[in-house]
Parts: sequence; C-alpha cells; structure tokens
Amino acid sequence: MATGETGIIGKGIVIKGNLTGGGDLVIEGRVEGQIALKNHLTIESTGKVQADIRAEELTINGEASGNIDASSRVAINASAKVAGDIKAPRVVIEDGAVFNGSIEMDVRLPDDI
Amino acid sequence: MATAKELSASSNVDNTVVGPSILISGRLTGDEDLTVRGRVEGELTLSRTLIVEPSGVVKANVAVKNAIVSGVVVGNINATESVELTREGRMVGDIRAPRVIIVDGASFRGRVDMGDVEPGRLPAERPAVVRPTAVTRPTATPARPTIPAARPMPPPPPSRPTPPPPPARPSAPPAVTRPSAPITRPGLGGLGSKPLPPPPPTRVERAEPQAGQAGSAEPPTPVLVGAGAKKKVVVKKKTR
Repeated sequence: MATGETGIIGKGIVIKGNLTGGGDLVIEGRVEGQIALKNHLTIESTGKVQADIRAEELTINGEASGNIDASSRVAINASAKVAGDIKAPRVVIEDGAVFNGSIEMDVRLPDDI
Repeated sequence: MATAKELSASSNVDNTVVGPSILISGRLTGDEDLTVRGRVEGELTLSRTLIVEPSGVVKANVAVKNAIVSGVVVGNINATESVELTREGRMVGDIRAPRVIIVDGASFRGRVDMGDVEPGRLPAERPAVVRPTAVTRPTATPARPTIPAARPMPPPPPSRPTPPPPPARPSAPPAVTRPSAPITRPGLGGLGSKPLPPPPPTRVERAEPQAGQAGSAEPPTPVLVGAGAKKKVVVKKKTR
C-alpha cells in the first residue's frame, strides 16, 4: 500500500470539503466533509474528522464521526473516540477506545444457528 | 475488570462450566463466573463474567458484568463493565457496555454502544456501583434477585387489606446506585433489535412498600432490584 508518499494535514489546518487522493494521509488537524483515499488514512490524536471516510485502511487515534467504509481494515486505538457506522472486513477496537455505532464484518456462523 | 488476559490464569477455578456436550435451553441466571463450552439458548443473566470458549455457542440475550467471547454469540450482550471479542470470537448482535474490545481476527456484526465515556478513562475510575448479590442492570431484562426470595404472590390473601412487606428478602439491597454513563447514553436509533427498554414504572409498584425498609432514603430508581418483573423468552427446544 505504501506508495512512498505520505501527506500530512497539520495541526493548524482546517479543511472543509472533499478530500480525495491516492497516497497515504495523516490528519493532525480538522477535516469536515468527505474523504476518499486509495491507501492508508491515519487520524492522529490531535485530529478531528467529521466526514464519511472511504479508504483501504484506516487508523484512528483521534476523533472521527461519520460513516467509514474500509476495504481492508479499521483500527480504533485506545485514545480514539469514534461515532458512526463501520463497514470493513477487519475492525479492531482497542481497550480504552470509545465507539458508538454499528460494525459490519463478515461473520461466519456455524450452520446450526 | 476482567479481560481475557487477566482471567486466563484463573478462569477455570471455582466456576461453572457448561461442557461441550451440554445444551441449556431456557433461562440461566447466576452469581458466579460461567464458562460455556457447549450451548446455551434463551436468556443468560450473570452478576459476574461469562466466558464463551471457542467451542461454545450462546444464542441468547445476555446480561452480565463482563463477557469474553472466543466462541459464537448470537444475541445482544448487555454488560455493566466490559465485553471482549477475542481473536476467535464471532458475534452477531448488539453490544452495550462501557468498555468494548474487539481484537484483530474477531468478527462482529451489530451495534456497539459504549455511552459517553471520555477516551482513555477506564471504567474503574467511575463512581463505584453498589452491587450486592443481585445485579442491577441499566436496561435489558428487569433485574431480579437470583436467590429465590420470599416474595408476596401476586394475588394477596383477601384477609389482609394491604400487601405486607415480605418477611425475608435476603438479597434486597438497601439502595441502588448506578453509574451515570448508562443513563446519559444517547439512544442510537435503527438497525437490529435494541435491548429491551427499561421496565415501565408500573412494574415497580410492588416493590414500593419496601422503600422504608432497610433504611433506603433514596427515591426509587426506574430499575429496582427485585421488582419481580419477568420477561419470558420463548425458546424453541432444539435437539442436536
């Protein structure tokens, strides 16, 4: 997934609108709107995102609200606060994280249930 | 606090195990840890920790203090402390708990409601819950004492004008305080079956005469231990 380029939205930056791109992105500031990224998005602990997010992989250390659609994995780390619905094949919630919303993964249940 | 790691050493000591070939269908309540390696269907209420091992299947609405799921759970889990889905855990249903952990490898479909906890703040730092033998849960099935207490039967004998307070209620707690978090939880609408709403106030009535008893000065909370309200879950018997 690494294309070698990682963009950073710094602490003092506020973006309102749509954000699209192909490389990895680290958000330390604020983003409101929509995010569609081909690769890895990281929301740092200073980052606040109010957006529907589409990415391959998403790591959240800060705050995020909105719906999340990841093609591979979502990691909600201990310092994160997340509200919204998540759709991804793999979702991890660390101890200490706060999450409210729904999660949709593939669940393979036994046949007799 | 009990997570899979913390409990792994002591989980098999002094608790009840539903063995791999056991099927329990109906309502299961208890005051000790329960390990499920077989199958439990219906309704499960524990004041302590439920451990569903990889071979275990729980198809029930669950109300516990802690739940550790390494097997399969279909139904809602309402935990006063924590719910952990381990690497092998699979669950379909809604989780309501102040602390929810989903480990990489676990699969889950449903809603998660952790309330309004500040990030990084452990539930242990919250106001302590007065939790006597009978647990008070914020929602789900109405709390009831797990010890069969002497309770006045619904039609009181006609010779007595007023229903007297029951002579002995060993498990009736004097006062019930609850952590503030569950109350302030925002209701998340939609999707799936929500845990049952708190019982209507009218159900509490029978417990009212006891308010003066046992020095309870606090006003009755909507959910009272021993309110006696029962929610029957109809379970289809299933043979394996």
